[in-house]
Order: sequence, then structure tokens, then C-alpha cells
Amino acid sequence: MATGLLLFVWSASSAFAADNSACLECHGSLQQVKDAAEMLGVTVSPDEAERLVVVMGPNCIHGGMGCLGCHPAAEEVPHPANLLTLTGNPCITCHEDVVQVLSHSAHRDPAPGTDFPVQCWDCHGAHVCRKVSDPQSAVAPANVAQRCLQCHDKRSYLAGVHGQAVQLAGLDVAATCVSCHGAHDILAQSQAGSRVARRNVSFTCGKCHGRVAQVYRHSVHGAALTENDNPDVPTCVDCHEAHATRDPRSPLFRSSSPELCGKCHANKAIMSKYGITTAVFETYVADFHGTTAELFQELTPNQPLNQAVCYDCHGFHDVAKVTGEGKAEIEKNLLQRCKRCHPTATTRFLSAWTDHYIPSPKHYALIYYVRLFYRVVIPATIGFFLLYIAIDAWARRRHHGRKV
Amino acid sequence: MTETPERLRRFSRRHIVNHLIMLIAFTGLILTGMPQKFPNQPWAKGIVLIIGGVQRTRALHHFLGTIMVFQLVWAVLENLWFHVAKRLPMPMVPRLQDVKDFFRQVRFNLGVDREPPRMNRYTFAEKVEYLALVWGTGLMVLTGLILLFPVRWGTLVPGEVILAAKAAHGGEALLAVLSILTWHVYFVHLRHWNKSMFNGYLDEEAYAEEHPVELEAIRRGETPEPDMSPVSVTAFAVLAVGVLLLTAVTWLWLTSGRINILTVMNGH
Repeated sequence: MATGLLLFVWSASSAFAADNSACLECHGSLQQVKDAAEMLGVTVSPDEAERLVVVMGPNCIHGGMGCLGCHPAAEEVPHPANLLTLTGNPCITCHEDVVQVLSHSAHRDPAPGTDFPVQCWDCHGAHVCRKVSDPQSAVAPANVAQRCLQCHDKRSYLAGVHGQAVQLAGLDVAATCVSCHGAHDILAQSQAGSRVARRNVSFTCGKCHGRVAQVYRHSVHGAALTENDNPDVPTCVDCHEAHATRDPRSPLFRSSSPELCGKCHANKAIMSKYGITTAVFETYVADFHGTTAELFQELTPNQPLNQAVCYDCHGFHDVAKVTGEGKAEIEKNLLQRCKRCHPTATTRFLSAWTDHYIPSPKHYALIYYVRLFYRVVIPATIGFFLLYIAIDAWARRRHHGRKV
Repeated sequence: MTETPERLRRFSRRHIVNHLIMLIAFTGLILTGMPQKFPNQPWAKGIVLIIGGVQRTRALHHFLGTIMVFQLVWAVLENLWFHVAKRLPMPMVPRLQDVKDFFRQVRFNLGVDREPPRMNRYTFAEKVEYLALVWGTGLMVLTGLILLFPVRWGTLVPGEVILAAKAAHGGEALLAVLSILTWHVYFVHLRHWNKSMFNGYLDEEAYAEEHPVELEAIRRGETPEPDMSPVSVTAFAVLAVGVLLLTAVTWLWLTSGRINILTVMNGH
């Protein structure tokens, strides 16, 4: 091991030793930079001086290249003032193919030249140039978010399940920025070919969550998106969020899920297009399960909720149309769902839920008439009481000549 | 007649204790029940937060409801004892006289009649309230038990009945609260500050105004005497055992076959 390392250092230094040692005479340490500046009669700020100390990092893939390989203009000493911009992007020489890809990505040069808004070394590092597959490289799973977050304000990623898995659990296979967006070929979400364009999201997530994505694409939501490009249906990120990927097993996800579904299903503008009633949310809250869920969500959102929420009956990734099936099929499926929490439930028990109907003389008439009864009897009784009390109080004041 | 002239014994310790338990259970049931009827209201969320969560609110509601059930059974047994075994009169039962008294009181209040109706031990206002309490408690207990064991009842009645029971439970509760806040508060707190349900005594002036017929009977020394006989006691015993058996059987039927939700969750 030690011999191998020694051998590597020897071979690297022997081939280009002469080139770099000349450079390192001035750029090798802070003291050398200061000495060189003094010798040349130029003033450098402390920050600048620190930046001018250039030592190639360990395990650098370009360790064998001399400084002049990237900075040919540096041959002239003292160096020209615009040394860094004089020769343009030096990576192009060897990485032409990558530059080609980059030129068609969201990070392309608007000019269009090779003056990319983000340069190769912004992500890969300049002198700390480990191999991409090196777990300590600048673009390794644990580090790449740090690079992207310098420009893109998506810090919520770090708190999401993916970010936590990578950062805290050391799970390098969990999604990072590039897993979903790509690396050199990143495209804006609005572009059809983008990995994160709406209709492609399920395929992107499906790279890891394959079976879930497949089930989703057969659901009423997924089919509408992949087959008809429907803009109204949710895709993975609408429920799970793109960056702040919430843990669907958390009590909070469960207790807040009715509101999540309600974002669309309580929206008249969206639902009217499909002839779906927006009463689903209010009828759910009016029901025993929903009442509990509502109070739970408001008061103890992080406590595990043992009441049925939308997806306990409708499913989630496999959510299907309820009107497509026959009545018998619906009842059979519903009973199965009920039995998961109420194992002794019978078919008769099914009508203890109004199927999201608001009780009316047509549907669930008994409930409708009981409500109507109280809607009439309560005001009538209390009205009568108040009227009687008013007359009685007035009479007593008259008869007794005192306040009652 | 051992009472002093200015204060007359109106309620026994039994009445006072019954009323006190009812008062506590009723208030508690309202506080824990109304937030469940109006879950979207901010005040409902506040009450549930103070109590300490939905589950505790519900547990308290069930506990207080159980007290109500015991009170209902106890009231039935008590009434059987006094009116079947002891064969005492039933002054609380409404009669045609009460309807007449009501109209007479209205006419008097409107200034049509010169004299108010002369009422007995219980005025029509008290009878209305007692009837509402009996009917209301019965309905609340029945619908409450349906809501507490919905799956069990689902084997007996269509599911729709369970939801109708929920509507009735809420409607009846609202009716009860509003009745207490209007009728009850007026007759025993505003019309006349009546403490007799707490200390057992009513002052003579109020007695003379509200229960002149009974007052005269008391003055004449006429108090109802029990008329027990072996037949009446046997009838009471049979009925009482029947009530207790019915209660026990109902309870056993409701609770048998109940599966704890945790058992279900662990089973998956």
C-alpha cells in the first residue's frame, strides 16, 4: 500500500516535476506568494494571496498534468494580468464531448460560446480534481448538493428523505440533485425532454422506485398524464414534493393527507372539468373519520392517526375511478377496505358511510329527514321558549313591580 | 310538619345527589361533545386542546356517557320502587290539567285573566323539563351506544341508521343545551333564584306562588303514604330484575365480538 502510493507520487512528479516545481516556487506556500509579490513590486490582498497558493489536491485525476496544461499563458513571467480569461475554458481541449452536451443544457452559454453560466470547475473543483466516482470528489453524492445549492435555493432537499438519507445515513444510492436533473445535460422543467418535465417525472423517480412508478402510470392520475398529457392530475412530486420529499410513513404525512387531496378535489375550477363533486372533502370532514382527522391535524399533527384518510379507501399510487366499476364491485372493494380496521364489518355496515353523498331525499333519506327534523324542531322549540319567557317576565314585572 | 314557616322541604337528599351527578355529567358531556359536533370551529379546537387531544376528549365523553347510562338505569329502578312497590302517586306525569294551567298562565300573563293558575307539586314548566330530560337521556343513550359500537349495530340495522343516530345525537344535544340555557335558566335562576335543588328547601313565598295546591295539602298535613303489598313488591322485584337483565344482556351483546384496533394493526 505504502509502496504503491510512493510509486505513484514518484512517477507523477518525475514526468512533469520540472514544469511544476518552477510554478511552485512562487505558488507553493503563502510565504512564497508574499515573497514573489514583493520581488515583483506588486501588492496582493491577504485573500488574493491565499487564492494564489495553488497545490494540487490528493488523488487528483489531473495530477499528472502540469500547471501549464491548463494555464498555457502562464509561461510568460511575470504573468499577464488577464491570465485566467486569456485562454478561455481549458477543459474543452480534452473534454470536447462534455462541452457539446453542456452547450445544449440549461447551463449553456447564452452567447452561444463556451462562457457557461456555471463553469466546469464550479462543480468539479479546479485543483481539487478527484475522479467523479471518488466518494470524496466535489460531485460525489454527499457533496453535489452543496455545489448546486450555491446557486439554486433548494435547501429543503437537505431536510427531505433523500437529502437526509445521503447526508445523515450515508446512503449514497439515495437521490441527489443529479439523480433527477442529470449532470451535464440538465434541461429546464419546461422543456419536453427534461427529466423533471411533468410527464417524465414518474420515469425519473421510477429509476429507483420502479414498481411504484409503474403502478402509478396505470392509475387514473398516471394514465391521464402519460397518455393525454393532462395538466391537472398530480404526479409524484405533487404529493411527495420534489425537493422536500416528505416521508409518507410519517404521522404528519398521514394526518395532513386529506388536505393534500383536497388541494385539487376541493377545487371547483379543476373538478368541474371532470364532473367530480367537490363535496368529497366536506363530506369526509363531516364523517366520523374526517372529524377526528380534522381535529387531529389541527392539534396533534405529529401523533399517529388511526382514522381512515382518503387513501385508505381509494388507494394511493393505484388510485382508480370509482364510477368505472359496477355497484357490486365497488361494494366488494369497499368492504375489504373497511375490514382492514373493522374486521367484523358486514355488507350492511357499508351504508354507515354516505359514499361522499350529501344526504338528500334521494340519497340517505333517513339521515336527511333526521337533520331536517332538528333543523325545524330546535328553532321552533327554543323560539317558543323565548317567546313564553318574554311574556312571563313582562307579566311578572307588571304584577310584582320588580325585576325578575 | 317540622319545617319552619319560611322554608319548606321540597327535595330529598336523593333528589339533590341525582341532580348533582346529572349536572356534572351533562356539563362534561356538552364540553366534550360539542367540539366533536363542530370540529371546524376555532373554539372547538381550543376546548380539545385544553382537554388534551381528541382521544382524551372522546374517552372522557364515553366515561361521562356511561355515568348517564347508569343514571338512566338507576332512575328506572327508583321509579319502579316508588311507584310500583310503594305505589306512591306520580306527580311528575303530565295531565290535561297542565295544558289548562299553561293556557291560564298565558292568559294571566297577557292580562286577560285576573288570577294565575293554581298549580300542584310540579308546574307545567317543570314537567316539560322533566319529560324532555327523560326522553332526551333515553335518546342520547341509545344513539350514543349506536355510535360507540357502530360495527356491532351494523349486524342488526342498516348502516344508514348509524349515521342517522349520529345526526340525532348531535341535534338532540344542541336542543338540550339550548333548552337548558333558556327554559331552565329562566325558571330556576332568573324568574326566581331557586336553590331548592341544592339545599332541599324553598322559601314559603315562592312555594305559595308556584305550588299553592301542594302547599295547602302540606298545611293540612296531607302527605302521600306508601301502600306496599306483597304483590306490589313482587311486581317490583320482577320488573327490576328484568331491567337489570336487559341492561346486562345489551352490554354483553355490544361488547362481545369487539376487536381492539391495535390488535388489527398488529395483525397486519
